Amino acid sequence: MMLIFAALLAYSAMFALCLGLERHYKAVWKTQPAASLLRGLRWTGWVLLTASFCVCVRGWGWAMGPVGWFGMISIAGLIVAFFPAYRARQVAWLALAAPLLGGALLFIRS
Amino acid sequence: MKEQSITQKLSWLHTWSGLIFGWLLFAIFLTGTLAVFDREITHWMQPEIQARPGSQADAAQRGLDWLTVHKPEAAQWNIGLPTERSPGLRVSAGEGRRGAGQVLDAQTGEAVAVRETAGGNFFFRFHFTLNLPRSLGVWVVGLAAMAMLAALISGIVIHKKFFKEFFTFRPAKGQRSWLDAHNASAVLVLPFHLMITYTGLVIFYFIYMPAGVDALYGGDFKALQRDIRPGMVQEDRGGQGQRQPGQQHQGPQPEIGDVQRQDSGQVQRDGRGTGQRPEPPAAPVSNQPMLPLSLFIAEGERHFGAGNVSSLSISQPGREGSTVSVGRLLGSRVALTKGDSLVMDAYAGRVLRAPPENRPSVLTQRVMAGLHFAQFGGYPMRWLYFLCGLASCAMIATGLVLFTVKRRRKYAVEGPAGRALYRVVEALNVSSVAGLGCACAALFWGNRLLPVGLDARAGAEIQLFFGVWLAALVHGLVRPRMRAWVEQLGLGAVLCLLLPVLDLYTAPGTPRAALQAGDSMRFGVDAGCLLLGLVLMLMAWKVAQRTAEPLPHKAAGRLASGSSLEAAR
Repeated sequence: MMLIFAALLAYSAMFALCLGLERHYKAVWKTQPAASLLRGLRWTGWVLLTASFCVCVRGWGWAMGPVGWFGMISIAGLIVAFFPAYRARQVAWLALAAPLLGGALLFIRS
Repeated sequence: MKEQSITQKLSWLHTWSGLIFGWLLFAIFLTGTLAVFDREITHWMQPEIQARPGSQADAAQRGLDWLTVHKPEAAQWNIGLPTERSPGLRVSAGEGRRGAGQVLDAQTGEAVAVRETAGGNFFFRFHFTLNLPRSLGVWVVGLAAMAMLAALISGIVIHKKFFKEFFTFRPAKGQRSWLDAHNASAVLVLPFHLMITYTGLVIFYFIYMPAGVDALYGGDFKALQRDIRPGMVQEDRGGQGQRQPGQQHQGPQPEIGDVQRQDSGQVQRDGRGTGQRPEPPAAPVSNQPMLPLSLFIAEGERHFGAGNVSSLSISQPGREGSTVSVGRLLGSRVALTKGDSLVMDAYAGRVLRAPPENRPSVLTQRVMAGLHFAQFGGYPMRWLYFLCGLASCAMIATGLVLFTVKRRRKYAVEGPAGRALYRVVEALNVSSVAGLGCACAALFWGNRLLPVGLDARAGAEIQLFFGVWLAALVHGLVRPRMRAWVEQLGLGAVLCLLLPVLDLYTAPGTPRAALQAGDSMRFGVDAGCLLLGLVLMLMAWKVAQRTAEPLPHKAAGRLASGSSLEAAR
């Protein structure tokens, strides 16, 4: 369960980083983003990446956690790169909801 | 000629070394990706072995009973215990491991006849030897890995908008899309690409960089081993895989890095492992009874952690000085724990020798090897490795396709030689990518369809694999380019999609019984096949769509002058 949460965080993080790039932001929302918004998204992305790392380490331990984390963010990045190209906005909502969903699941289980 | 910039030079290197080694690298990466699930595949390929509930201690006792009856005189008994990923109980008597082990039913202790198969081990061995004679294969794969590293580094340098296009993929734009897909799958999974290539090279450090051992030990690898692992003096342990595992390992269960007994015909085994510790056959019979095996398993679990005991070896059973060595399961930690075992006195239960702490240098190497072997972290980690491996395959395949997509127009005006080259490259592309997929699926089909009693059955399976691969090459040369892609991808998809059906109907017992038994490892492989089949189907369909549009032009081209106009497309 912990690992699913980490994966969802990784996905949201990669999505936030992706939206933090002007071209991708425009592709999804069709409007010109403010520079501060882009910076905010990128910061969010980095924070979520860090959170994902922490959750991975919690779940796998210090030795394996980082290895799994790299794999997760890679796969998450691939999903971000290859799917929004087809249906941008749905993915955006999913990405925003992902960590909440994961957190809720974790809460229910514990 | 104008002096080229460094980027242009690297670009040239990337293109050509990528092409030449790309075909090989794709095969190495695809089989390596499949080998992540080698045990699962082996289990799928031996449907006679049923996963039985029950404790390891009970299973060990069944194994011991069988050996007492059938191999009373043997100098060593080996019992491979059922573990999470290998539910069979295997026993063998230790004089040399050439003799095939025997699989027992873990509940009843009766012998089970198991089909001979290349198993998931074939993918594992192919991954680092290409089924060539071992040392040659290891060298070729090492060369390819160096080329991969060079391609990765040069790729990073020549990719001008590394961060700007981090997530960029623009579909349905021809060459642009191929380049995007190549870049995205390379950049996003770069940590994995670099890690897996580098650690792959580190595994065989003593083959690729022997200078240190040559200079300090006169090339005597065993002397080095004695120095770096002083506690393991008696064991003739090779590094990861070069030597056959020493007698530590003589447990009947093939460890990773070990070679399946079935294909011993093709594998150089050095017998030193067994000759290292001479067994004094005249040791007097002991009148003490051996302690129950459950005690040794419990002691092993205390050392290695619960569920981390994989095998027991009893040397000189029933004689004085008999010892039991408890083998550790791979995968309790990142560092490769291959060969770790706990040696105990069979009568007093004293621990005679525990695995030594690794020196930092050894630990470093073992951690790197462990990172490559991916035996830690359980199934989530295994799936991550599998997915990342598939991403590597996709990166290599898109690179190969990109080579031809870029040059298609150019070749049309380059005269007959250029066109012939282009034709061959296209055929090699399709057969090394889609054709290899078909060949892998064919191995699974062969496993179930070849007669169970066939002589050298494992060899026949492997021949089928190569036969299909070769046929794919011929097919790629004969058929028009795009049709070849569609047909081979489609065939691969059908073969994969039908595998679960084949599994249900060709395994011993009725399909209903199999469904009720609910063997999760077997169905996991089936599910994986379905998944890959769907992906292949999707790809075949996409390519078919692309082909469908300009068909009239192409058909006219074929009618007019063979492949020349076709090539111009």
